[in-house]
Amino acid sequence: MLITLLVSIAVISLISVFLSLLMVIADATIGNYGVVKITINEGIRDLEVLGGQPLLRSLQQEGIFIPSACGGRGSCGLCKVKVVEGGGEYLPTELPFISEEERAQQIRLSCQVKVKNDIAIEIPEELFYVKEFSTTVEKIRNLTHDIKEVTLRLIDPGEITIKAGQYIQFVVPEYEDLDEEVYRAYSVASPPGDATHVELEIRQVPGGICTTYVHEHLKEGDTVTINGPYGDFYLRESDAPIIFIAGGSGMAPIKSILLDMEKNANPRSAQYFFGARSKRDLFLLDEMKALESSIPNFSFVPALSEPLGEDNWEGEVGLITDVVRKNVSDAQASEAYLCGSPGMIDACIKVLTDLGVSEDRIFYDKF
Amino acid sequence: MHNFAIFFASIFTGNILLTNYLGMCSFLSVSKELKTSLGLGAAVVFVMATTTPLNWMVYQWLLIPFGLEYLRFIVFIIVIAAFVQLTEMALERYSEGLYQALGIFLPLITVNCAILGASLFMVIREYTLATSFFFGLGSGIGWALAIVAMAGIRQKLKSAKIPPGLEGPGITLVIAGFMAMAFMGFSGMIALT
Amino acid sequence: MKQTPEYDRIQAQMQKGVITLDGFLGDDSRKLVDIIVADTLTVHKRRTTHEAIAERMEHFKNLGLKGLGNFITLDEHFEVKVETVRGLLPSPFGGPGMYGKTNTTVHNKRLGRTITYTDLHIHFIRDHGFYEGIGSPFRLEPDALIEILEVGTEE
Repeated sequence: MLITLLVSIAVISLISVFLSLLMVIADATIGNYGVVKITINEGIRDLEVLGGQPLLRSLQQEGIFIPSACGGRGSCGLCKVKVVEGGGEYLPTELPFISEEERAQQIRLSCQVKVKNDIAIEIPEELFYVKEFSTTVEKIRNLTHDIKEVTLRLIDPGEITIKAGQYIQFVVPEYEDLDEEVYRAYSVASPPGDATHVELEIRQVPGGICTTYVHEHLKEGDTVTINGPYGDFYLRESDAPIIFIAGGSGMAPIKSILLDMEKNANPRSAQYFFGARSKRDLFLLDEMKALESSIPNFSFVPALSEPLGEDNWEGEVGLITDVVRKNVSDAQASEAYLCGSPGMIDACIKVLTDLGVSEDRIFYDKF
Repeated sequence: MHNFAIFFASIFTGNILLTNYLGMCSFLSVSKELKTSLGLGAAVVFVMATTTPLNWMVYQWLLIPFGLEYLRFIVFIIVIAAFVQLTEMALERYSEGLYQALGIFLPLITVNCAILGASLFMVIREYTLATSFFFGLGSGIGWALAIVAMAGIRQKLKSAKIPPGLEGPGITLVIAGFMAMAFMGFSGMIALT
Repeated sequence: MKQTPEYDRIQAQMQKGVITLDGFLGDDSRKLVDIIVADTLTVHKRRTTHEAIAERMEHFKNLGLKGLGNFITLDEHFEVKVETVRGLLPSPFGGPGMYGKTNTTVHNKRLGRTITYTDLHIHFIRDHGFYEGIGSPFRLEPDALIEILEVGTEE
């Protein structure tokens, strides 16, 4: 009886061991893709990476950051990359995000494409300048009851090349209930001239992963990782009069552009319409007033939609769209730069086009 | 000659899915999509054609000499599981699209009773090694044939009006029944033993 | 009730700290599929559907957008405010598309009750019949939604 028991155990173990060995060999051969080459922009840069990973991840490990909002999960559709050859067939997870024209151009979702063999891709040149920076928090200041101004000093690399109006991605490290890093995008409020600092305006969102981290945990002296710069929201070169519209933390990119205009003594006529609810939502009023003097042709127009009695508000009152309608005179020649929620942006676009601003001169960062 | 007869019989007259009703779960779910059905069918053919003769070898050379025939259920499943893993790895490498499309159904091949069934039939009917291979290959092809046929029919069904309640698995089982009845017409043509 | 591995994966996405800080399940220890089944029963008992509720939520949101972040009056006895913060969130259910962080607050003057919901909620309810777990700070009770938004009944 005992012998039978031992023999049966021995036989099953033998079979299992043999099969496991087979699996190990298979994993090392079939499952192992070896080192593969990624050719970027016809050879401007060549990378050698370990095969088998999603393209997004491989590029990230080599210091090339393709914008992504969902962290490679395949739900945001932002990480599009043109794969010239070696990408294999379209995966069912990519198809919902790829339009007909994009298919014709071989655009793929880089978080879904696995690099199993040599591959050649094309990416916009700006992405080569996107770097990851380690920084320390130099200063945290309250701008309003729910907006904090966070100034980061760049350590490595020590300087950033950025256009006024662009944004960076803030990496939220694991904390409390957060088990995996998360990225959130914020526009940069400091001017490009200050290359060693990045200033952000962060508004607290109830239940928000990043804003809760910033408002409740971040302290001066902490290290923060960011990457960037991204975005095509920046001042276009021209003589056209400028209309800026932004409220709340939407002021960040506008502030960066204004400070840049101050530095270059940009003579273009500019109006900045800043919409808020009541006086406690206004901030940096003194700085804006100062800019009115230092920028040749700039006027700051704050507007409150629901001023409280004790505010003693004597400025413009009403919805920002109405205030814009009332105060813009030379719309047809103007360029408009908007920053805010999709709802606000749509409403402003409507007002601006009604006033005669041409749609291809309206710029906005919608994220 | 005998092997050829077994080969054809396992595809048509003794179709493991339509006659023995083995391997129904993936059949019902994956037959929604023609392309995926072809892919899954091919995977099943591979696994069945390799594991049936392999299990014969394990049975004849390991289990019988040690008097451990009663262990065949466990041992066959272990072998099948290992092979499905291999198939998964190979698919992930060579056909990522199919790998993603099959999703959970790829590892589910392991518990597809048709695969274990083929190995067990091989034992009951006391096939030789060569016959095991042809039987496994044929059964796999028969299963694939059934699922592809079902997928084709369900494609046509898309434009038909099905009474609510029968949609999905309901009408699929009814059709499977009809297909089985049709295949019964082959019975008696070739014997499976 | 046992749930598919797909639902297990979705339930994992709903945990605290994965997509939002508080997650979508609160302290609810039930399986996702049980939460959805329980809420579906409630909805059916009130003789309506998830789609009808979601449509009403969408209706108020679309009309409320005009207020640009302030309260506006609708149909005499409703006040609606729609606020957005920047950023998009993926759905824990997977699938394409990101959802804006839009908060719609509806105040029913006749009943004196208020309810707030987001774009993600509209998607959850319309596409999956999910109202969040009990104990989640953002759980919507189907009864509350039906009463405050005055969702009609369907046969």
